[in-house]
Amino acid sequence: MNGAWNWIWKGGGIALLAYVILRGFSTPLQPGLVTASPSALKTGKQVLNLTAVGQPFATPDPSAANFTVVLRAGTQLLRTEIQEVQPHGITVEVNVPNSLPSRTLDAFVFTPTAGTLFLGNACFVEDAAKGDIPAEFRSVRPDETPPQLGFSFPYQPNIMESIRNLLWHVPMWFAMFFIMGLGFVASLAQLRSGAVLWDLRAEAAVRTGITFGLLGLATGSLWARWTWGAWWVSDPQLNGALITVLLYSGYLILRAAMGEDDRVGRLAAVYNVFAFVMLVILLMVLPRYTESLHPGKDGNPGFNKYDLDNSLRAVFYPAVIGWGALCYWMYTLRLRMNRIAHSLLSR
Amino acid sequence: MVGANHTLSTAWTVARLEWQLEWRQGHQLAAVGLFAIASVYVVFQAADQRTGAAAWTAMLWLVYLFSGFTAIGRLFDRERGDVRRYLQWTADPLGLILGKLFHSILTTTALTAVVLSAFILFLGWPQGMEGPGKPGLLVLAAWLGGFSMTTTLVFVSAVASQVRSGSGALGAVLGLPLLLPQLILATRLTRGALSDTPWAMLSEYPLFLAALSAGTATLACILFPYIWRA
Repeated sequence: MNGAWNWIWKGGGIALLAYVILRGFSTPLQPGLVTASPSALKTGKQVLNLTAVGQPFATPDPSAANFTVVLRAGTQLLRTEIQEVQPHGITVEVNVPNSLPSRTLDAFVFTPTAGTLFLGNACFVEDAAKGDIPAEFRSVRPDETPPQLGFSFPYQPNIMESIRNLLWHVPMWFAMFFIMGLGFVASLAQLRSGAVLWDLRAEAAVRTGITFGLLGLATGSLWARWTWGAWWVSDPQLNGALITVLLYSGYLILRAAMGEDDRVGRLAAVYNVFAFVMLVILLMVLPRYTESLHPGKDGNPGFNKYDLDNSLRAVFYPAVIGWGALCYWMYTLRLRMNRIAHSLLSR
Repeated sequence: MVGANHTLSTAWTVARLEWQLEWRQGHQLAAVGLFAIASVYVVFQAADQRTGAAAWTAMLWLVYLFSGFTAIGRLFDRERGDVRRYLQWTADPLGLILGKLFHSILTTTALTAVVLSAFILFLGWPQGMEGPGKPGLLVLAAWLGGFSMTTTLVFVSAVASQVRSGSGALGAVLGLPLLLPQLILATRLTRGALSDTPWAMLSEYPLFLAALSAGTATLACILFPYIWRA
């Protein structure tokens, strides 16, 4: 019975991870607008080129009549004439009036199959006065067609294709929390009972947790490079993450320094309890009270701000379970090594 | 109630003993002061009196941090061997750690005064500041940061004292990552004190520092009996 259950959770976890990797990399990203050029416009007739990812304009009939492009200044809409439609871009002519409610313009592209595409702060009008858009320049809001896309991940500006990292970075931190929590409980049990097995469990948990913490740091650093432009920034969440990994490295150093001292179990447990409380303060308490670039701080970490849609959810939840199962499996292997080493040493 | 009285009287005895030993032997605090002043003098030689607020803050906290290690790192050195065994039988562990904490906070207060005055004496006030700065807040930042550093260092040196070989170096290694959050908050507060940032925008840092110190001190008190028990 126990053996069968082991096969089920290990096999299930690996199957879920295989699904996550395949689905995560093969699912297309929804189309979205990337840039507008030129980004600075002047009043009068101007040509504006909007580029996109995901080929939103490669419909069966890419004629200009199927698309509508409007620019928004404040709450008012500005009309444009479409000149050319290509798979990756759309060129429009816009007559910019002398007076605009706002000098920054947002772009909307209404498409027949890909829904409505939006680019905030697409361009800037240098020489417009503040005022209403004259009636002859205005556009009425076009009819929206709901997007007819298959299973696809949502487009987010700046994040773009890197949204797939959600299936790696976030579950890895979840797995680290989970296994460090396990180590914390094991250390408390060690302090209560003094049994060696609890110490071996705590050591295995911390070692596995550090591995996942390092993976979380590495994937996070990649993501930061893509979205924020630097491998590392000074941010409460990032500081907390780095300090946490350093703290737990201290746990391993303490154990190594004590060697075969028989008090290692209790002292390591004391340190581990301290480290876990610091982890909770550093990663779950402090970042919520300070401003952070990192998403997911307004409630449940990792969920709300991503605005997870159903397609992402369908891969994200299996990823959480899959990485968690892999993490626990690694923990059990390390624990087995620890037990064998302990029994050999105490013979 | 007998337990609480015993704890308090132990704490008082330990703190008074540390203080008396300090006066009679007098080398502990003197060594720390020497270390701090010599470090500030090195900084002065390297940086002259034209240091900007960022470098000033960085050097202040580096000097302060390593002076703290020197001062608190050997806190449990006396309680080894027979003394330790005797105290394990007679002294209440909670009282012992409270006494050590109290003594360490006094030490840190003295250290704050020494390091800050040495900085002002040799390096002067940082150059090129936008506003007049807030000397009162600077003192608060240094003392509260030092207080926070001390509560953690007491715990670390208690752990390190249990390791038979090389406890001094181990204390520094374990202490650095544990002290990073306090140092981040303290350096931000110091930078705030050396700028024209209004008080209201900085008010959360002292609160965080105080909360962090209270948390680490409580944890140290809860966990110390487990370290101490034979």
